[in-house]
Amino acid sequence: MKRALCLFLAVLLLALSVFAADAKLERTITVSPDAIVSFTAISPKGDLIAGACRDGQLRLWAFPSGELRQAYSLQDQRISSLAFSADGTWLAAGGNRGAVKIWSLPSGQVKHDLKVGVSVLALALSPDKTLLAVAKQEQPAELWDLDVGRVITELPAKFSGSLALDFSPDGQWLASADADTEIRIYESHTGALRATASDLLLETFAVTFSSDSKYLYAGGADKTISVIDVGSGKIVRSFPKQSYVIGEMHHSADGKSLVAVYFDENSVKNPAPAMVWDVAGQSVRATFAEPGITPNGSGFLKDGRVLITGGSGPKLNIWSLR
Amino acid sequence: MPSHHSLTRREILENCMALGSLAVVSSAPAAAMIAALQQQELRYRRPTPPNEIGPFYKKRAPETAMLRAPGDPGMPLAVSGQVFNTRADKLSNALVEVWQTDHLGHYDLEGYRYRAKLPVDTSGSYKFDSVMPGHYPDRVCQHVHYLVTAPGHKPLVTQLYFATDPVFEGDPDRNFGRDPLIHSRELVRPVILTGDPHEIEAAVRFEIVLELL
Repeated sequence: MKRALCLFLAVLLLALSVFAADAKLERTITVSPDAIVSFTAISPKGDLIAGACRDGQLRLWAFPSGELRQAYSLQDQRISSLAFSADGTWLAAGGNRGAVKIWSLPSGQVKHDLKVGVSVLALALSPDKTLLAVAKQEQPAELWDLDVGRVITELPAKFSGSLALDFSPDGQWLASADADTEIRIYESHTGALRATASDLLLETFAVTFSSDSKYLYAGGADKTISVIDVGSGKIVRSFPKQSYVIGEMHHSADGKSLVAVYFDENSVKNPAPAMVWDVAGQSVRATFAEPGITPNGSGFLKDGRVLITGGSGPKLNIWSLR
Repeated sequence: MPSHHSLTRREILENCMALGSLAVVSSAPAAAMIAALQQQELRYRRPTPPNEIGPFYKKRAPETAMLRAPGDPGMPLAVSGQVFNTRADKLSNALVEVWQTDHLGHYDLEGYRYRAKLPVDTSGSYKFDSVMPGHYPDRVCQHVHYLVTAPGHKPLVTQLYFATDPVFEGDPDRNFGRDPLIHSRELVRPVILTGDPHEIEAAVRFEIVLELL
């Protein structure tokens, strides 16, 4: 019995060391204590990291140099959401009192300055950058036509609002994960409802389309990644369930990998892992689990590596995973 | 010249009618219509303030008024109330859905512990037995989540808080803002202790007022 326990511990230690070897600390960025980074967004090419800082500033760092490129503010509001455009040339930020700004990169020129009235929970830009979807605190999400600067339509749930949004890579679909636990798929340019995924019992906090725009990956409080057929809204398969809630997800440019950032249901402050999934095999390719670290952002580099950000006081650490 | 405060509501309405800002189109006499309008205004109830849904709503909760299992630790809690609309009609077709943590502040995501659907009776009344929720680590105050729906009415998502919560230090009027999610003092309800010293139970009333669509 004792021997079996020793063997189990040895295997566990080996597994942990393998996981630790997966993650390489690439850069540490130090900010002032009042500017601790709450969460990040990583540009599609992985060359920019946008950080929502507690002092209300949005800071933009180059990766891998860690050089501070820009600092923006959102009319004295706390930044509550961030999103890059698919080509990485625009950055959108939403605030806790309804301000939304979109900057052109690298110039920093303000392209759009909008107001939606209440705290912004999530943002998504269409691939052609003509549409913006805005998830609002306890209110229906809105689909904006950026060319004319007006709301095309609201995207109502049965109650409350939306928690996560994503446009499909072909620009045809917009997915909205709603607090009523349903995921609604709309035609992007009209906001017409195309399909509803209503089999999930708990709230979904992250959605990302497959690279061919045919499937939607959804993850949230049920701790699993569900694969939803865009045409029917049916769940066609589910990845193995984990011990943590999924808070964020992205897929690689080639569509073969997904990165999921998890959080502990008992507190978002508790340490939690991030996992890189092989989409075809629905298996874990790499796990990020650093002692005392709660990941606060993720994304892919052009070479397929995954970046994970995580804070430790005024230090923002950036790791890469193979 | 008297200030407008010296006019009765009836006189104001009569002035409105005389000046054309109120028109009565009815077979009933104007005086009767004004009296009916006054009655309706008196019956107006303010809608219950909404509050955030939070991350752990789970649909298809069981229909039960007993959320507490025998032997569950924590202080027994009995919550009751009535569902109205802003016209003070009792909503006998309302559905109240509640979810909360256990006494240690943990939500059940795997099953339906401390989650229930509560149909109301003919007078719009609901009640449930539970335990006093613990402090969820990412929140300041103890709370119970509510989703209340009724045909023809706007769904209400809100939360019930307890005036006895240690966070308020006995003075919720002054301290309710210590939880940044509590935007309205109205959601912090008084607690009545019942039973004897060996078996006390907390009781709370929470009336719900829905807005018409």
